[in-house]
Amino acid sequence: MSEATQTTGAAVKTRKSMGYLAILIVSVIAPLLFPAYQTQMAFLWIMVVLALTWDILGGQMGYNSFGNILFFGVGMYVTAVLQVGLFTDVTAYNAAKGGEVLDPTLGEYLLGLGVGLGIAAIAATACAAVFGFGMLGLRGHYFAIGTLGLGIAAGEIAAGWDYIGAGSGMVPPRFPGETGAREEFFYYLSFALAIVTFFALKRIYAGRFGLAINAIRDDEDKAEAMGIHTTRYKAVGWCIAAFFLGIAGGIVGNIVGFIAPRDVAFAGVTYGVWMVLMAILGGKGTLWGPVIGAAVFHITQELFWTYLLGWQRVALGLLIVVIVVFFPQGILGFLREKFPERFGYKVQPKEAGGSADPAEGGAR
Amino acid sequence: MKSIKNLGLCLTSAAALGMAASAASAAEFDGTITLGAAVSLTGKYSTNGGHTKNGYDLAVERVNSMGGVEVGDKTYRIEVKYYDDESTPARGAQLAERLIKQDGVKYVLGPYSSGMTKAMAPVTEKYEVPMVEANGASRSLFTQGYEYLFAVLSTSEQYLASAVDLRAELAEKEGEKPSDMTVGGAFENDPFSQDIRAGVLADAEGYGMEMVIDDKLPPEINDMSSTLIKAKAKNPDLFVVSGHSKGAALAIRQMADMQVNVPMLAMTHCDAAQIIQKFGSDAEYTLCASQWAPSLSYSDDYLGKASEFAADFEAEYDYAPPYQAAESAAAVLVYVDAFERAGSLEPKAVRDALAETDLMTFYGPVRFDETGKNVAKPMVLYQVQDGEYVVVAPTKWAAADVRYPIPPWSERK
Repeated sequence: MSEATQTTGAAVKTRKSMGYLAILIVSVIAPLLFPAYQTQMAFLWIMVVLALTWDILGGQMGYNSFGNILFFGVGMYVTAVLQVGLFTDVTAYNAAKGGEVLDPTLGEYLLGLGVGLGIAAIAATACAAVFGFGMLGLRGHYFAIGTLGLGIAAGEIAAGWDYIGAGSGMVPPRFPGETGAREEFFYYLSFALAIVTFFALKRIYAGRFGLAINAIRDDEDKAEAMGIHTTRYKAVGWCIAAFFLGIAGGIVGNIVGFIAPRDVAFAGVTYGVWMVLMAILGGKGTLWGPVIGAAVFHITQELFWTYLLGWQRVALGLLIVVIVVFFPQGILGFLREKFPERFGYKVQPKEAGGSADPAEGGAR
Repeated sequence: MKSIKNLGLCLTSAAALGMAASAASAAEFDGTITLGAAVSLTGKYSTNGGHTKNGYDLAVERVNSMGGVEVGDKTYRIEVKYYDDESTPARGAQLAERLIKQDGVKYVLGPYSSGMTKAMAPVTEKYEVPMVEANGASRSLFTQGYEYLFAVLSTSEQYLASAVDLRAELAEKEGEKPSDMTVGGAFENDPFSQDIRAGVLADAEGYGMEMVIDDKLPPEINDMSSTLIKAKAKNPDLFVVSGHSKGAALAIRQMADMQVNVPMLAMTHCDAAQIIQKFGSDAEYTLCASQWAPSLSYSDDYLGKASEFAADFEAEYDYAPPYQAAESAAAVLVYVDAFERAGSLEPKAVRDALAETDLMTFYGPVRFDETGKNVAKPMVLYQVQDGEYVVVAPTKWAAADVRYPIPPWSERK
C-alpha cells in the first residue's frame, strides 16, 4: 500500500470519528434543548433499532422476515410482567374490572425494569432460536410467508390470556420519578440501545459472521457447498435481531404506558411494517441505510401527523409508493449509484459509461 | 368545509336562541382557552370518534355563541385542538404528551374508548393536567387512584345490569325462578367490553343464573356465526352482545341471517351503530344500554332540554345523536362550569373545582366520587319498538312496557 492511500485512509478515519462525535453530541444535547420532544426523539432511536435489526436478515442475509414483531411483543410483555410480578400478583393487577395499584419506589422500579429488560432479551432470543431452527430451513418467499403468521398468532394468544390482561391490555407500573424525568430517562435508554445495537452489528458485519450471511444472501447453495452451516448461521442471525428487539419492546411498553396485545405489542401493521419500510427506504444491506431510513421515515411521519390531520395515512401510503418507484435501492443505494467514489468505489473513466451498476465493478 | 359548518352552527344556534349574534363577536373575548383532545378519526373506532368530536364541537360552538366562559372578570372563548389517535393506544399516549408538552394544553378532553383513555390517563396524571372524559367506562380506569381524571359517564358494569334485572323480573312474573334462567354473551376483547362482561357475570351470579355462552370477539369483528350457532343450540334466556358499533351491527345482521331465536336480546352501542336505520325491522325488540336518551327530562342553560339537544344535533350533523355525542358535549359543559367556579385558569384550581362538580346538564346530573367517576346519573335501557328507541327501564324513566318475549323469526315479517 502506498503512503498516499494510507494518509487518505487515516483522514477518512478521523473524519468518521468526527462524524460519530458530532452525532453523539447532538443526541446527548438535543433532549435537553427540546424537552418537549423527548418522547418523539426516543421513538426515533427505537425506530433505528427496529430497522437495524430487521436488516440483519432482510438486508444482509436476504431473508425477508415479517415476523420480527413477535420478538418485540414478547419483550414488551415479559418486561411488564416482571416489573409487576416481582412485587405483586400479576393476575390481580390485570383484572378487567380494575386491578390493584402498584406504586413502586425508584429503586424497585429500576430493579423491575432492569430484570425485566434482561429477561425480555433472553426470552425473545429463545423464541428466535426455537422458531429459527424450525423455520429457517424454509427459503425465500416461503420463509417470508411463514413468518407472517407468527406475529398474528402471538397477538391472538396474548389477547386471550387473562394473566397478562387479555384484550383489556396491561399498564406497566408508573414511573416514580418527578414529572418529565420519565421521558428523559427513556430517551437516554433508547439512545443507548440504538448505539449498542449499531456498534454490535458493525462489529458483527465486519467479521466472519457478516461474510457468511452475505454469502447466504448471494448464493445459499454455494455457501452451503463451501461448508457454511447455513441454517445455524441464519438462526443465530435471527437470535441477534431478537435480542435487541426484545429490549426495544420492553422500553416501548414503558414509553407508551399501555400495552394492548394487537395494537401496541404485536402491532404487525404499524411497527411490523414500518421496520421493513425503513430499512428499504434507507437502503437495505447497508449499515447506515436503516439508520437513515428510520430517521427520514420517523420525521416525515411525525410531520404528516401534525399537518395532514385525517390524511396522514394516505400521505404515508403515497410516500411508500414514491420510495419504491423512485428509490428502489433506498436512499443510500441511490446515493451510491450517483456518487460511487464517495463510497470507496473506484470508477474507471472509460468504464463509467458502460458498467451500469457501480457496485458490481467496485471493490467491496 | 369545516369552517363553513361551524359558521352555520354559530348562525343557527344564535338564531335559535334569539340572541344577537354580534353580542358574542370575537372582539368581546379577553382570550382563548384551548382544550386538547386526541380522538379516533381513523381506524376501528372512527365512527364513535366522529360522534365524540361532533359532541365536543357542538357544545363548544354553543358556549362561545352564548358569550363564552367567564373566569373571574374576564370572558374567554374555548376551542379544541384535535389530533387523530388512529384508534391505537400507542398513538394516544404520545398525543397526550404532545398536547401537553408541545402545544401547552392545560386541560384535556377524553378520547373515545376505555383503551385509549387507559393509555392517556397516566400521562395527564403525571403532568397534573385535568382530563374530563366521556367515553372511557371501564372500571379499571378508576382503581388507579388518578386524581386528574373525571368521567361524566356511568361505568361499564352498569350498562347491562338493568337487562339482567329485567330478565329476573320477567322470570318471576312468569312464575319461574330467576336462577333457572340462562345467559349467553359475546364480548369484544377490549377493556370496555371485558368490563361489561365482568359486570354481567357478577349480576348473573347474583341471581344464580348460568352463563351458557361466554365468548370473546376479536376487535376486527366481521363474523360471529360460531357464537350464534352456540346460541341456537343452547337457547339462552338472555343473550347479550357488547362490541362497540361494529359488534352491535354485526349481531343484528347475523342473527337475522341465521334466524337465531332468543327470547331476550340486549346489547351496547345500538344507537351508535344506527341499527334502526341500517336494519329496519330486524332491529325490533333489541334492548340497548344507553348512557342517555333524548326523551329524558334533563336540561341545562346551554344546550336546553335533552330533546332540544337531539334536534339541534340532528339539524347540524344530519343524524340523531347517539349517547356518545351527548356525553361528549356534557364533558365540555363540565369544564365550563369548573372554569367559572374556579375563577382561575390554573390547572390545580380547575381540578379542585372539577372534583366539587354538582351540575345538572341536558345529559343528566354530574357529580364525581373520589375516584373521578360520575355517580349521579343512572343508565337507561332502550328497546327498539316500531322503529323507535323507547326507554323501558328503569321504571322511573320508562315510556313503555318491554315487549317480551321476542317472537321467533318465522313469525316476524
